[in-house]
Amino acid sequence: MAAWDLSVTVEDLGSDAPPVTLSVDSGLHVGGVILKLVEKTQIKRDWSDHALWWEQKQRWLLRTAWTLDKYGIHADARLVFMPQHKPLRLGLPNGITLRLRACFSSSVFQTVMGICRMLNIRHPEELSLLQPVEEKKKKKDKNSAEEIYDLTEVPLSSASRPCLYNGMPAHFADSPQMEAIYKMLSVTQPPPAPEVIAKQYRAASVVDKAHIHGRWLDSSRCLLQQGIQENSRLWLRFKYFAFYDMEPKYDVVRLTQLYEQARWAILLEDIDCTEEEMMLFGALQYHISKVSQSEPQMLSSSAAMDDLESALQSLEVKMEGESSSASEMLENMTAPELNDYLKIFRPKRMTLKGYKQYWFKFQDTSISYFKSKEESIGEPIQQINLKGCEVAPDVNVTAQKFLIRLLIPAPEGMNEVYLRCENEQQYAQWMAGCRLASKGKSLADSSFQSEIQSIRSFLAMQKTSSGTHGNAPANDESINTHSLVSPRYHKKYKAKQLTPRILDAYQNVAQLSLTDAVMRFLQIWQALPDFGLSYVVVRFKGSRKDEVLGIGPNRLIRIDLAVGDVVKTWRYNNMKQWNVNWDIRQVAIEFEGNINIAFACVTADCKIVHEFIGGYIFMSTRSRAKSDTLNEELFHKLTGGHEAL
Amino acid sequence: MDDIDAMFTDLLGEMDLLTQSLGQETVPPAPLPSTDKEVNYSIGYADLNESLNELEDCDLDALMADLVADLNATEEKFAAQKEVLKVPSLPPPDLPPPPKGLSTHPASSLASPASPASSTSSNVSTPASSTASPLPPPPPQVPKPTKEEMEANIKADKIKLALEKLKEAKVKKLVVKVLMNDGSSKTLMVDERQTVREVLDNLFEKTHCDCNVDWSLVETNPDLQLERTFEDHENLVEPLSAWTRDSENKVLFQERGEKYEVFKNPQNFYLWKKDKNALKDMKDKDKELLIQENFCGTSIIVPDLEGVMHLKEDGKKSWKPRLFQLRASGIYYVPKGKTKSSRDLICFVQFDNVNVYYGKDFKGKYKAPTDFCFFLKHPQIQKESQYIKYLCCDDAWSMNLWVTGIRIAKYGASLYENYKTAEKAAVSSVWTNRSSSTPSSSNPSTPSPTIKAKSPSQANGHAPKPQQGPVSVDFGNVPPPPPPPPLSVFPHPTPPLAAKSSSKPAAPQRHLPTNFPPPPPAMDLLPPPPPPPNEDDALEAPPDFLPPPPPAIGFGSLPPPPTFNSPPLPPPPVSFRGVDQSLPPPPPDPGFLPPPPPQPMFTGAGAPPPPPPPPPPAAVPRAAIRPSGSVKKMPPAPPKRTTPSLQGGDGGDFMSELMLAMNKKRVH
Repeated sequence: MAAWDLSVTVEDLGSDAPPVTLSVDSGLHVGGVILKLVEKTQIKRDWSDHALWWEQKQRWLLRTAWTLDKYGIHADARLVFMPQHKPLRLGLPNGITLRLRACFSSSVFQTVMGICRMLNIRHPEELSLLQPVEEKKKKKDKNSAEEIYDLTEVPLSSASRPCLYNGMPAHFADSPQMEAIYKMLSVTQPPPAPEVIAKQYRAASVVDKAHIHGRWLDSSRCLLQQGIQENSRLWLRFKYFAFYDMEPKYDVVRLTQLYEQARWAILLEDIDCTEEEMMLFGALQYHISKVSQSEPQMLSSSAAMDDLESALQSLEVKMEGESSSASEMLENMTAPELNDYLKIFRPKRMTLKGYKQYWFKFQDTSISYFKSKEESIGEPIQQINLKGCEVAPDVNVTAQKFLIRLLIPAPEGMNEVYLRCENEQQYAQWMAGCRLASKGKSLADSSFQSEIQSIRSFLAMQKTSSGTHGNAPANDESINTHSLVSPRYHKKYKAKQLTPRILDAYQNVAQLSLTDAVMRFLQIWQALPDFGLSYVVVRFKGSRKDEVLGIGPNRLIRIDLAVGDVVKTWRYNNMKQWNVNWDIRQVAIEFEGNINIAFACVTADCKIVHEFIGGYIFMSTRSRAKSDTLNEELFHKLTGGHEAL
Repeated sequence: MDDIDAMFTDLLGEMDLLTQSLGQETVPPAPLPSTDKEVNYSIGYADLNESLNELEDCDLDALMADLVADLNATEEKFAAQKEVLKVPSLPPPDLPPPPKGLSTHPASSLASPASPASSTSSNVSTPASSTASPLPPPPPQVPKPTKEEMEANIKADKIKLALEKLKEAKVKKLVVKVLMNDGSSKTLMVDERQTVREVLDNLFEKTHCDCNVDWSLVETNPDLQLERTFEDHENLVEPLSAWTRDSENKVLFQERGEKYEVFKNPQNFYLWKKDKNALKDMKDKDKELLIQENFCGTSIIVPDLEGVMHLKEDGKKSWKPRLFQLRASGIYYVPKGKTKSSRDLICFVQFDNVNVYYGKDFKGKYKAPTDFCFFLKHPQIQKESQYIKYLCCDDAWSMNLWVTGIRIAKYGASLYENYKTAEKAAVSSVWTNRSSSTPSSSNPSTPSPTIKAKSPSQANGHAPKPQQGPVSVDFGNVPPPPPPPPLSVFPHPTPPLAAKSSSKPAAPQRHLPTNFPPPPPAMDLLPPPPPPPNEDDALEAPPDFLPPPPPAIGFGSLPPPPTFNSPPLPPPPVSFRGVDQSLPPPPPDPGFLPPPPPQPMFTGAGAPPPPPPPPPPAAVPRAAIRPSGSVKKMPPAPPKRTTPSLQGGDGGDFMSELMLAMNKKRVH
């Protein structure tokens, strides 16, 4: 066989180095080429990760046993010899950029699996890579200042499950730096400064959102084939909103990142919610950031001690000291009280009277008041049971106004009662008591102290935000409430006005543990009507205008662009088949009952739509196939398109 | 111990009061629908006597039953503890040598002090017995406790008991009159820890209804013309406590199809926009999928509802149409001139502090556009008020859509849990009903032959029962109990079952008083085995170990395992020292008990309900006694229940003492 010259660029020699020329024949297999090449470079190193890339055909020559002939390589082929794993700048859902080595030669699906393995994220099939929105190049200098966490030194492993050390993959236990990275991955980030939120790109319309979804990488092709170069920036995001088998115990990183993605989706109004929901999200963010600072590991189960259990123990102690009588024990278990002079006002009654001062006693879940302290032994003037009542704050720290507004249910309706406290201290205690009582808990409840604390810290927030704005020291006591809501509300409310509203929502979540709070956040997010929809602008067959196709975890919806209304919903479980005509780039779907739809995609390649549909169908098969191993082949079959055939 | 004594005397005091009000009636008069509406309920312990006076006699009897059960429970615990304190081998002096089936009891209780207490506590937890249900789980049985362990156990028990008592003292109880469909009523005592589900189970027991999932407790309020189905997980006492003193509110026991309609036809709620005809013949598989999607994910999905409803604005008389939207976080409306986008929505109401009610005849009362109205209010509001939010729908269909949607948003996963529990109760009731009917019919007839003939024809599920019938009969009939050989046939003891069954004994006690005088009639009264639902775990457990029908039965009320035990026991008398002696030979029992011939056998068997805990010393014999076979045969128990109760399983003595006390009172 005739020998001919094959020129191969060896990346490691530098971009200026001339290609290495090898004398080969067509019967030589790829492995042989590599061997010759390595010998010729005279460099001794580990070449095992290197492979040949055929530039014109945009393909890797990974089958070392194939001959050049079989690959169809001739003398004009430009080959590049380079490592299969290259560094990538990966934007995580929490907004932090990570530098790591990713596989450029296998399908993106496998590349994501590898990344997730490294980061300890289970169920990598739910994530994928997204080309980021171009940043405005104005502030280049600022980009360079961005802190980048480097994971490129992590050895590549092929083990399907990383071995865990101290609950984290072993490679994170190597050094304090690595541990810091793991902490960044597994602990939620503090609330971003309001300016940061305002500066971020926000999709203003459904069409904008559709454009973002046109940036998903193709799962069945490799990075290099999709024009991704070494050190490119990509976003790692949850793509399929069908989260399977969430287990806080094993999914620390996964949950944290999912929470971050959800949080940003809310803050940037990527998903719409109502004002009330926004306040609740804000309250949860506040709570999560507060708790994650005090409670470093998410793993610790903060199951509150069973009150019976604790009661048992205290009783046991009692029983050991022989002389305890039942009444003594009872005494020991009775709830603490609050006693103080407060002012009361009932707006519904004669307004003229104004606030009147009485001696108040807070016991169990009720408030009683007396003319004076001296008369507090007798019958109270009135006793008010707060169980089931609504409690609202009316506070202005600068004006020293500390009002508790109570809406107390009675058979005839709700009675409004205002309690006026003298100072912060008093207010925090009584407010905390009212809050607990409204939920039927007494002052003896273990959460009483923490409730007082959180009320105080909210008061503190009001102080700082009313003082010199901005640049307040970023300790946990003083979070700017604008950090917790989307920019829309920055305009609508001053931080001072937001505080009470968030505090209001906060009282319902203040008792949650970190994990529970994160889960609650995710649940509320998932319960939003538009949750999980990915949009694509399409042109339906026979229609002359652009419409939007929303792809959800269990359905497709057709949205009229002009009105924004959902026109039609099709569910996957009624779907008989879907086809893509790759020549005319048209997706055709048939549903039960002879319903056929077909559309061409405008803002995204039809492969993306195809992959979304196939991907969701794949996700729904997971519960049935209970095995732990990911059925990659099935995923490829469902999403690969013509390449899979 | 002193404290306990004191408490007990207190309780006795209560009993005295009760007996006074009881007067002389021993025979329960036929239940009459009550005439006075005013006495629908009463609040708190303090009112108990007062309300008792106003109750019909039959109610009194029922209450007495409950109370006696309470007392028994206390006694038993008390006794158990005393036993523990004594030297193990000695029978407790307090207890007269148990003449009846009881004999087995001491041995077992000695061996595992914890178990008797636990069995009682589970007793108490049965819905009917309105005592301490949330008792701590029984400590695991200790086979051969060391001294320290024993002491620790004793202490733990003491503490537990004391705690129970303390809790008990605070528990609020209501006497509730529930109106039946036929206009009659039943009166029950409900304590504040009982859920609606438990009360329903209790009612199932009392009414012999079909126990399907639609059965509900419904609250009505004539002032507001409202109707609301209580959710199964709610505590019944709480909403009732909000009623005013003079209220004419009622609690009804009714079938309400809409209660769980969303789980029967989820498509009507989640796909309501679709063509209705297509929805009608939706495949079960697809329904299941819908439920999975919406109720089994990480988040409960609320039906996507949107539509025009008429709103009666605060305090005004007019009804104005508005476009409303349901979201998980509340009901919103679209302000005039704005789009439907989420951010523009105005919150109309959130669900934390309100319940949703159906309004009746609002067209007449408030001049509503239609009669399909619902409203939201704080449960404590009992009269018309500006704080009530009234909404009016175009038709019944959309009203149901909204009310159900709101319930899903408010109760979330509990709703589905409730449904699953209700379904289980319904299924098990089918079995229990059948089972109870079989035995009762078979009882009067001559035992073995007929039953045996029947058994083959029965479905596998039923098989156990018939079988059991014959077996127990055999034992009973043959004066010399079956020889050892048969025993050995059953190689594997099934302790788990036995343990579970321990809860059974309680039930009988409860019925004691009522049933006592006329045993045969009592049988009828006796509802099938007490509803398993009492304890969730119990509920779920059954399917595992007994595939067929027995589950319900086993748990339920049947004292089966013990029953079986006793008959076999006599045969190997030699092996048991004191135990066998105490065991009366089967024949005496019949004499003792008035019931028909077949029953006596059961009685003998059923008598020792307390023994559940396996006596460790007798391990070998026990194994023989508790053969797996016995388990299968257990089912017949239901009929026996009556009798066992007579003997007062735990302590016939206590019972008789009580009775004595009561009689004295009557005499005076």
